[in-house]
Amino acid sequence: MSEKILDVKNLSVEIPTRHGILKPVDGLSFSIKKGEILGVVGESGAGKSMAGNAVIGLLDRPAHVCGGEIWLNGRRIDNLSQEQYRKVRGKEIGMVFQDPLTSLNPLLPIGEQLTETILEHLDVSKKEALDRAVAILEEVSIPAASMRIGSYPHQFSGGMRQRVVIALALAVEPSLIIADEPTTALDVSVQAQIISVLKKLCAERGTAIMLITHDMGVIAESADRMAVMYSGQIAEIGKTRDLIKNPKHPYSIGLMGSIPAIKGDVNRLVQIPGSMPRLSDIPKGCSFHPRCNKVFEPCYTKRASLSKVGNSKVACWLYENSKGANE
Amino acid sequence: MTKHTLVKIKALTKIFDVSKPFLNRLIEREKKQFLRAVDDVSINIVEGETFALVGESGSGKSTVAKMVVGLLEPSKGEILIDGIDLNDKNKPDELYKIRSQIQMIFQDPFASLNPRWRVEKIIAEPIVSYKLEKTTKAISARVGELLSLVGLDPSDGRKFPHEFSGGQRQRICIARALASKPKFIVCDEPTSALDVSVQAQILNLMSDLQDEFGLTFLFISHDLSVVRHMANRIGVLYLGRLVEVSNSKLLFDNPKHPYTRMLLDAIPDLEMSGKARNAIEGEIPNPINPPSGCTFHPRCPFANKRCYSEIPMPIKRNGAIVTCHGIEEGRIDYLK
Repeated sequence: MSEKILDVKNLSVEIPTRHGILKPVDGLSFSIKKGEILGVVGESGAGKSMAGNAVIGLLDRPAHVCGGEIWLNGRRIDNLSQEQYRKVRGKEIGMVFQDPLTSLNPLLPIGEQLTETILEHLDVSKKEALDRAVAILEEVSIPAASMRIGSYPHQFSGGMRQRVVIALALAVEPSLIIADEPTTALDVSVQAQIISVLKKLCAERGTAIMLITHDMGVIAESADRMAVMYSGQIAEIGKTRDLIKNPKHPYSIGLMGSIPAIKGDVNRLVQIPGSMPRLSDIPKGCSFHPRCNKVFEPCYTKRASLSKVGNSKVACWLYENSKGANE
Repeated sequence: MTKHTLVKIKALTKIFDVSKPFLNRLIEREKKQFLRAVDDVSINIVEGETFALVGESGSGKSTVAKMVVGLLEPSKGEILIDGIDLNDKNKPDELYKIRSQIQMIFQDPFASLNPRWRVEKIIAEPIVSYKLEKTTKAISARVGELLSLVGLDPSDGRKFPHEFSGGQRQRICIARALASKPKFIVCDEPTSALDVSVQAQILNLMSDLQDEFGLTFLFISHDLSVVRHMANRIGVLYLGRLVEVSNSKLLFDNPKHPYTRMLLDAIPDLEMSGKARNAIEGEIPNPINPPSGCTFHPRCPFANKRCYSEIPMPIKRNGAIVTCHGIEEGRIDYLK
């Protein structure tokens, strides 16, 4: 299928340490279509960012991809050399990081940072690159872009800076953008602005976006599909609406219940006991079983595979028997 | 029966001097610059309630919190806790007593615990400093009791902070805050560094403790859904000024001030009702040179000439206190 922009098959990442091999990402499979926003949620330590960094080939040593395949636009990219990967980054995959201040060079005007990226990947003159930079800045709604092109990052506010980072990711029209917690460092009012910029780009250009965040509200509002990650694996993946209205995996249910609601008076929040296991001692069997309130025999020994339940895919033994019955 | 007002904040103002050094000012011929972080804020907090302050970054929430616990001295105004002025230097004995009644929980549980102290020493510090227990044995018994109160094991006291996860550390911070048997706890973004599932645990723990000990909270957060869940009454801060104070249900059902409405509109919609979120135009202005008149006027859709020049005064409307010319004049329809 040519529609799939990104196709990740059984991706695993490992970090060899003195005390053994850690697996922050373990057998991850998902795909993103053209013009689609896939939201990836999970608590800290779930492996969301590791997965994002693995796709873009920016894993810090000693972490490395140890299995699986990553296909971008019908081409396998996980086995490329560093030099070839560098060409893919920026041109085909753009990245937006959490903190806009650290992802911009404080010593260069933003115009220079934008044109640098454009000149690196496209065969254009300096003048054309500059025009293009202004056009992109306008597209992410920076007022008076041609005036501000010579400004330094510190002269912008937080929300503006994040727009510049998005512009930087877009500079050469990549087909995929990985946005790693793009709104976490911003206020709610500014967050809404950034989300609408991302949504607009997605709709107008058909850019596929992998939106990594722990904020369920952001996902609910922007993502078409979402994946819930738990200790390096996908616990549940499906349409955002189905997942939020009708979560199936006990972890997703707990996660949804633990969000304080704006409407209605709930006296107590649903709480999941305990916390995310450490990478060094991921429990045997289903890694969620020590915190799960519906745990039964198979959970202790074997991990459930991702299988179709209703409209979503869930990795849980609870649904293993009802498989097919629901469809 | 009216309940006892525990905390009275009267016309609290904090001005920071953000001028360049003297020599630079002399050479560059610049004037002194001042930043009004908090401007004329008055709040009454009734015993046993949770009062929440919300606002964007830079609105002065944390500055209020720091002044209320006495970490910063106000430039103007006073803070009365149980009728005792927190900045009255003439009564050191009373101050000493009232200080043990106020505790604070900070945002970052990684920075607020001394990494070189064992947990038992951290929690025992207020007990030792206020001489609440005499013997070492009694102190360690109390520490154990506090640890089990917040859902940790008494034997965890031997460990160091780095051995705990973020949620557990925040529990340690809560245990430390409870150690001096306070009446009033200031919580400055207690859960914003935590994951949602852990946040739920901490919020539940805090409500349980409030019920058990009759605590009064000043709860500071930028997360409106958390505030909705925790608070009885809410104050909305914008550029150091209170724009609206109202009880929690009323504020969410019927927001009055244009800024409050914008904030509520900006909340992501988890119900997925398909309602489009209205992004707020612009950002919070620089507090060194705040806009004239009503500080919200550059972002306000209802602003008129009067808003540009005149600072609005708080007025009472339909059970809430609002600071807005438009509502005072009846230009803005506040009853939805």
